Amino acid sequence: MRARFTVLCLIGTALMAQSVDRTKPPQTPPLPAFRLPPVSESQLDNGLAVALVEDPRFPLVTVRLSFQAGSKYDPANLPGLSQSVGAMLTEGTKARSARQIAEDLASIGGTLVASSSPDALTLAGSALSEHAGTLIDLVADVARNAAFPEEEVALHKQNRQQELLAQRSDPAYLADEAMHRVVFGSHPYGHIGPTAESIERLDRHALAAFRDRLLIPNNATLIVLGRLPERARMLALIGEKFGGWERRPAPEAPQARFPEQRKTLVLVDRPGSVQADIRVARRAVTRREADYFPLLLADNILGGGASSRMFRNIREEKGYAYDAHSELDARRDAGLFSAVTQVRNEVVEPALQAVFSELGRMAAQPVPAAELDDVKNYLTGHFVLGLESQDGLARMLNMVKVMGLPNDYLEKYTPRVRAVTPAQIQAAAERHMTPDKAAVIVVGDGAKIGKSLEKFGKFEVTKADQ
Amino acid sequence: MSIAMIPPSPAAPFSVPYEKYTLGNGMRVILSEDRTVPVVSVYVLYGVGARSEEKGRTGFAHLFEHMMFQGSKNAPKGVHFKTVESNGGTLNGSTHPDYTDYFEILPSNQLPVALWLESDRMRGLDISAANLANQKDAVKQERRLSFDNQPYNTAIVDRWPELAFRNWHNSHSLIGSFEDLNAATVEDVAKFFRTYYAPNNAILAVVGDISIPETRKLIETYFGDIPAQPQPNHPDLTEPPQEGPRSAVYRDPLAQVPGVVVGYPGPARRSPDYYALVMADVVLTAGESSRLHQSLVKGKQSVVRFEANPGWPFQGPSDYKDPNVYALFLLHKPNFTGKQIAGQVQEQIDLLAAKGVDARELERARTQLRASRIKEVQSSLRRATLLAQYEMLDGNPAWITEELGQFLAVTPEQIQAVAKKYMTPEKRISLEIVPAPQAAAKESN
Repeated sequence: MRARFTVLCLIGTALMAQSVDRTKPPQTPPLPAFRLPPVSESQLDNGLAVALVEDPRFPLVTVRLSFQAGSKYDPANLPGLSQSVGAMLTEGTKARSARQIAEDLASIGGTLVASSSPDALTLAGSALSEHAGTLIDLVADVARNAAFPEEEVALHKQNRQQELLAQRSDPAYLADEAMHRVVFGSHPYGHIGPTAESIERLDRHALAAFRDRLLIPNNATLIVLGRLPERARMLALIGEKFGGWERRPAPEAPQARFPEQRKTLVLVDRPGSVQADIRVARRAVTRREADYFPLLLADNILGGGASSRMFRNIREEKGYAYDAHSELDARRDAGLFSAVTQVRNEVVEPALQAVFSELGRMAAQPVPAAELDDVKNYLTGHFVLGLESQDGLARMLNMVKVMGLPNDYLEKYTPRVRAVTPAQIQAAAERHMTPDKAAVIVVGDGAKIGKSLEKFGKFEVTKADQ
Repeated sequence: MSIAMIPPSPAAPFSVPYEKYTLGNGMRVILSEDRTVPVVSVYVLYGVGARSEEKGRTGFAHLFEHMMFQGSKNAPKGVHFKTVESNGGTLNGSTHPDYTDYFEILPSNQLPVALWLESDRMRGLDISAANLANQKDAVKQERRLSFDNQPYNTAIVDRWPELAFRNWHNSHSLIGSFEDLNAATVEDVAKFFRTYYAPNNAILAVVGDISIPETRKLIETYFGDIPAQPQPNHPDLTEPPQEGPRSAVYRDPLAQVPGVVVGYPGPARRSPDYYALVMADVVLTAGESSRLHQSLVKGKQSVVRFEANPGWPFQGPSDYKDPNVYALFLLHKPNFTGKQIAGQVQEQIDLLAAKGVDARELERARTQLRASRIKEVQSSLRRATLLAQYEMLDGNPAWITEELGQFLAVTPEQIQAVAKKYMTPEKRISLEIVPAPQAAAKESN
């Protein structure tokens, strides 16, 4: 690989020796081939899936232990439970107090945080590589033995109430909250956090019951990567720390219907807002569906970066917004596509019109070849950029496991992006992007923007402080 | 079997080899090769920031940063974004108190593209009235999005510098006022460009999958003939001696949870006290084993969360030349006042000043610092920014690896001494942020 690269550079140099043509971007050689480091997969007798990756670039070790136990597993009367379980895992075990866990982590240059996504609860840890053994021990201890001490639970509840107040003072949070409610309805994807009441109801029994049901080895994947001890020793250590963990009946993923998609207009009234936060959102596909890669390209053409259509139109040409982009959040059971911008109050009407028009254009016209080529380069290049750090590599591997994708998903990512055609993109946009079935969410000062919004139809009005 | 089967191995060293040189036009260049991933980061830093602004022109450095993406001679408007992104890369720029920076991260075969773009806009910008008007709008929108419509941020970006500093260059709002932005003319922008965006006021760092001899040739080709300009003057940033503590209250119509900023003017960068203060900060605030987490979030249960560092509200100490304020921002429960919280922070500092740190606590702090530096330099962009920033702030990129040794050598006595010397109630500056949602409701009626 290196020899080939050197030759290419020499060709580059020969050109440079003459005077350079500044009027055009320089011609560049193709990207040298790069392969992901090999993943060594195994499984313990109790069902725990293990993936080891030797990445010797830095003297660090990175761990992910993920469970199919995200917020979609929250009981209906306890939204936010998965998040709270995650927060409480590191607040004391049978063997260690919260303080002891924190001090042990600091002593190995470590961090260990559990976070909850819609699908998964993931413990993410890292430490200096000379302390790999201690990190594995800590991960196993908090995953298996969290004690949920009474006084720590009480403190968590107080602080979570304050955090919720702080979150709900942010218009972006309010917009996300309303968007999920409309797009996913009563499906568990429809909530993004707890309510004041569910925090109040939380107790250590609910936390322990969630843990006992879902944080079990046959519902988990352990990824360890970095500058690792020799493989046999590493596997022996993992066996020692996780092997005695008892298998239990695997939980069923919650089955719930998604609401039928229809145009829904919601204004979240936030008096005093100096701008309007706009989301135009639809339920979309998972990574397993045929429309995923076409829709991923459509999403990036529409709003994937500073040369995307929304950025160029809404920010660079019209000057309505600082931020104008779109997102495709592909989950295990469904995706969420959203076009996002925040505009000053006076231009809310033309800005929303511009978003609709860009969405409509994606479905109405095929993407020109040059624009498609650019976005393919953008996505495949970004994929390589994500591999610089252990954390970036761990995040990608964990995504594959959490989403239940085949092991060759990352390897096939680039050819799949390359293979998408304009016709596939247009068809995917027609099925998943058009505004006629979208949730249109605006968070802003109703007294100032209500009139401008009337032109789009009847908005359901909710209050920001409810 | 036990955990002892993998005994802790000796601490592995880390290194960031680099080469530094200066072009004929005065542009400083730092190159660092690392062939592990086919990625390259190109980072250009100009020695001009918000503190270089003049009265009546606040927000100018930041407005100018936006203009740098509005087109240059051979890469007209939109081409910069498009060229980087369509080649698989990402880019951005940001404005800091003492410098402004720009970067591209690209697959490594695209290095010439980044050098072409950066050199083209260093050579000459397309400063038209239309571009300027459009970017004034974008900046105002950025202000609305990131500050005016967010709790805490107006207090932090506008009010805190006014309270923390007395020299106007340090104390004015870094994002600027709408009035000043409106007053900016095309001529102002052109003059600003000539004065500050010259090769002799710039540092270029290129880090990642590169060949150093080839990269040197490319840089000479693209940047070598950009003419130097007279070296710009920099304003005097000296702060007058502090005359006692200062405090203020900000009523925030968008906040729901009360907060308080507590700060202490810090020691000069690279003085022995500077290293000791950073270690004191680690002991007080780094992670959940820190004293403030254990005593205030846990013990007194008064604080919900906090952040702190010697460059706050920026990311770290390398965002400022001197003078600098070490500051903490704490969100707290409504049954405590900001004054009480500031007092609780002071108690912890006083305890540190009186009793110092024990050996295990200090060892933990050292390990945390070492680990965070190694984690940080995994990214080629982070290596490029650190190399260039240390060159600009200290004239020595080697601090990227050598600085750690200075921190690790700090003694318990030195930590105690900085707490006593700098972090006293007489030197404290505090800003209480009190939720005032009722005020918002009233104003909107």
